[in-house]
Order: sequence, then structure tokens, then C-alpha cells
Amino acid sequence: MSTEDIEAPYPAFEAYADEPIPQAAPGAPGKEGELELVFAADGGRTRLVHDYARVPYHVSGTLAHDPHSDAATVYVQSPTGGIAQGDRLRADIRTNSGAVASVSTGSATKVQSMDRNYAAARTSLAADPRSHLEYVPEPTILHEGARFSRETTLTVAASATAIVGEAVVPGRLARGERFDFERYFSRLCVDGPDGLLFEDATHLRPNGPDESNEYDRTDEAEGTDRPGPTAPGVCGEFSVHGSLYVVAPEADGSSLADRLHERVTGAEREVRAAATTLPNGAGALVRALADRAETATETLHEAWDGARRELSGVGAPDTRRY
Amino acid sequence: MSDEAALEAFRLADSFLPIGTFTASYGLEQFVADGRVADGADLEALLSSYLRRIVGPGDLVALRAAYTATEDEDLDALCTADRRLHATTLAAELRESACRAGERLLRLQCDVGDDPFLEAYAERVRRSESGDTPGTYAAVFGACTARRRVPVRRSALVYCHTFVTGLIGAAQRLVSLGHTEAQRALIALRPAMIAATEDSADRSLDEMTPFAPLVDVLAAEHERANRRLFVS
Repeated sequence: MSTEDIEAPYPAFEAYADEPIPQAAPGAPGKEGELELVFAADGGRTRLVHDYARVPYHVSGTLAHDPHSDAATVYVQSPTGGIAQGDRLRADIRTNSGAVASVSTGSATKVQSMDRNYAAARTSLAADPRSHLEYVPEPTILHEGARFSRETTLTVAASATAIVGEAVVPGRLARGERFDFERYFSRLCVDGPDGLLFEDATHLRPNGPDESNEYDRTDEAEGTDRPGPTAPGVCGEFSVHGSLYVVAPEADGSSLADRLHERVTGAEREVRAAATTLPNGAGALVRALADRAETATETLHEAWDGARRELSGVGAPDTRRY
Repeated sequence: MSDEAALEAFRLADSFLPIGTFTASYGLEQFVADGRVADGADLEALLSSYLRRIVGPGDLVALRAAYTATEDEDLDALCTADRRLHATTLAAELRESACRAGERLLRLQCDVGDDPFLEAYAERVRRSESGDTPGTYAAVFGACTARRRVPVRRSALVYCHTFVTGLIGAAQRLVSLGHTEAQRALIALRPAMIAATEDSADRSLDEMTPFAPLVDVLAAEHERANRRLFVS
């Protein structure tokens, strides 16, 4: 059964799903990426006890450079240079009881231009009791014409914590491409032992009627254009938006948010960022807006480091890209 | 709509309704402090973003689900819509202001009318410390209007109207904005209110996509602002 058969697309992507693509079919070899990573605690260390990767995912073992002595790090690599139309990606990452693991990507994820079909990624993250899972990939760059749907779920068990973060770059900014992608949907759903903790969903179609319902698809909405991503209060004058979600239901969310806020604010920053507490006592959120991917990423890394220090007393690992 | 329902809608739309709307600015105060809103035109542009990016794809989807649940006398479904909106509202102050207004409206409606369904809902909101249901303004509003037979589309429009008049009222205390200019902004925002209402019509709770990161950032800055006229 292909990944596509397992789950239906977000409604706004249904019309794309029927479009045949001239090269390999959706879900064909090389189009259907699969990644499975399971980390387990083993006498004061964390080991990668199960790994399976199918192109365009590639994994080459763990790194042990994390300042947290129990932690294992995996950089997921992509040999294909990006996500193309028809790609269906599925990733399952789990930390077993007591494990501490950090997963990132080796480089930015480039979602390439498309004129048929769309690309979708589903990531399922699970932190078992007393484990700590981090998933902070490099930014996602949405090229002109890209159609990308991404759904991420995170389940944290009792006494587990997690850090999830990412920046979204609306085009190859250096060449003047900005909010020229066709459609982007992203949803993160986070569950705790008692059910839904919080949810963050975004649906953008910058150059057209942008939502899934009939009203916006027809011209009835004429004269009432939805404020685009650069409207006041949305992204305003900024291009890149990023978020870091620190899920720690047993921590004091408000003191965590205050500490993170201190880390991401300061006069000389080229970024507008702030921290707040998440719903249902789930922890804290940092939102960041910036002109460049690097400044957003640096800010999220500051917040990540701050969150690590609050939760485990040691900072975040340096990024290693080799 | 029956005359009774119309009069109920007018009552709920009136700023005379004692639910403390005047204490909340939903981040607007910080937009003024940051120099982003200085006049009627700035205000109108920002409120248009609120309506189309937060109220339409968020609040009104929950309002409609709460309305339908109440018509069906399905208290669990009402609480599901309520919890979902709360879980999707990520800036703490926006969440707190929505719950404060919702709690006051629900208490008021229970006090003025003998309504066992709303009483039962209020009881679950009171137990919300145990994570039962938060009592967000949009869910409470949907439930209250459904009980009084205000049609759902009218309910959504009245919600937009109260949201916008609340924020224009806040703006009048924050920037120099004359009464005529305020009325002009209110009228100019009608297409955005109608579009937000339409936009929410066919969405399920799985299709709530409120997105306004700059509002989130400024609302979070407001939490720590030194001088504050408003609680949000």
C-alpha cells in the first residue's frame, strides 16, 4: 500500500491529487520516502535501535557531539536535492522510555517548482515516558509554484518532553523570489496523555484565492481579497516565519516562556521574536519573524539552547553539517 | 429570523452588554505602541487581517460547530469545539481574553434566562481546572445564539461586529480617532466581516487555520509591556 493510500490529502489539495505527472508516478520508487527512527536508552546513553530510510531520505548513523551525555543525534540527509511534485514522504520518529534524541536535517529542504500534482510530508513523532525528543530541521524553502502539504503529529507521554521547531522561507529570497509558491499547508498537532494539547495550522495561497472553501475559489469574494501573507499583523514586512514549540507539560510554562523571551529579544537583533505560554499547560512557544533564513534560524537556535538549559541543564548541540 | 431572535441579536451586538469587552485589545495596544497603527487606515488594514486570518478561519469555525452542537443538544460536541479553538489559539493573552469574555457571557445568559443546557455547559466550564472545557467567547456565543434561535449566519456576523466594535473602541482610547472616522472604519470593514463569515461556512474543526504570526509576536510582547491600558 502506498503512502498516498494510507491517508487522504488536506481538502484543498484534493484537486491536485488527480493530476498525472510526466515523470515517475506519485508514490513510485524514489517518490515515496520513508523514514523510521527509534531511539532507546541503554545504560546512560541513547542508541538508535531501529532505522530504515528509503529515498529521498538517507541516514548515516548517529553523532555523539551533543553536550548532553545521554543524547544521540541524527541528521537526516536528502540525496535528491529537494522535494518534487508527486513526492509523498512519511517519517516516524520515536524515543523509547528514558531516551534522549535530537533529529535534524543536513541542509535546508527545498520544495521545488511544480505544475502538476503536489508534494506531501507526514511526520509522526512520539516521546515515550521520561524521554526527550527534539526535531528541529533546517528551514523549508518554498520555491516558485511549489504546492506542499505537511502534517506533523507529536505525542508526548507522561513525564516526557519534546522540542519541535522550524523556519519557513517563502522562496529563493536572494533572487527576489518571495511568496511565489502556489499553496502551502502545514499543521502540527500535539497530544499529551490526556488528549489534545495544542495545534498550529497554516494555509497559504499567496497569489490567488487561498482557502479550501467554494466561496474563495469562485469570484464571489471579489473586492474582499484576503489579506496576503505580507499584510499587517500576518507577516508584515518580514519574509521568514519560524516557530519553536517547547513541550514540557510538567514544567512551569510561564517561567519557561519568560526565559525564552529573554533569549530571543534584544535591541540589535534583525528579527522580531517573542515567547508565550502554550495552551493546556503544554509548555512555551517562540514565534520569530525575520528578513533572512539565517537570522530566523539563529533565533530559534537561541531559544532551543535556552529551552534545553531549562529542561536538562545543558545547552543545545552545535549544528554539524558534515 | 423571528422578532424575538432579532432583538436577542441586537442585545448581544450592543456594547452595552456587560461582558467586559472594553478591557481587551487582542494585541492592538501593542500595535499602537509599536507605531504600526496610527490612524483609521492603519486600523482598518489590521482589523481586516484579524477578520480574515484569525476570526474567519478560527473563531467562526468553532462558533458554527458550537452552534450546531447546541442545536443538537450535544454538550460533548460543544465542548469539543470549545477545546479545539482554545488549543489553536497560541498567544496566551488572546486565549485569556477570549475565555474571560466567554465566561462572562455564559454567566450572564444563565442569570437572565432559565436554560438548563447553558447551565450544564457553565458547570463544565467551572470544572475547567480539570481540563474539561475552557469557555471561549466564540463557542459560548455560538451556543447562546443557537439557544435563542438566532440564525447561524447572523450569529457569525454579530460576532464579527462585536469583535470589530470592541477593537475600534479600544483604538479610540489609544490613538486619535474621531467618532465619524470610527464609524467609517466599521462600515469599510463590512466586506471583510461578510467574507470571514462565508469563509467559515464549509469548514470542519479539522480545517481551522488561523495564521497571524505578527499578531502572536506582538501579543506576546504585550504580556511584558510596562504600561498597559488593556489586559491583552
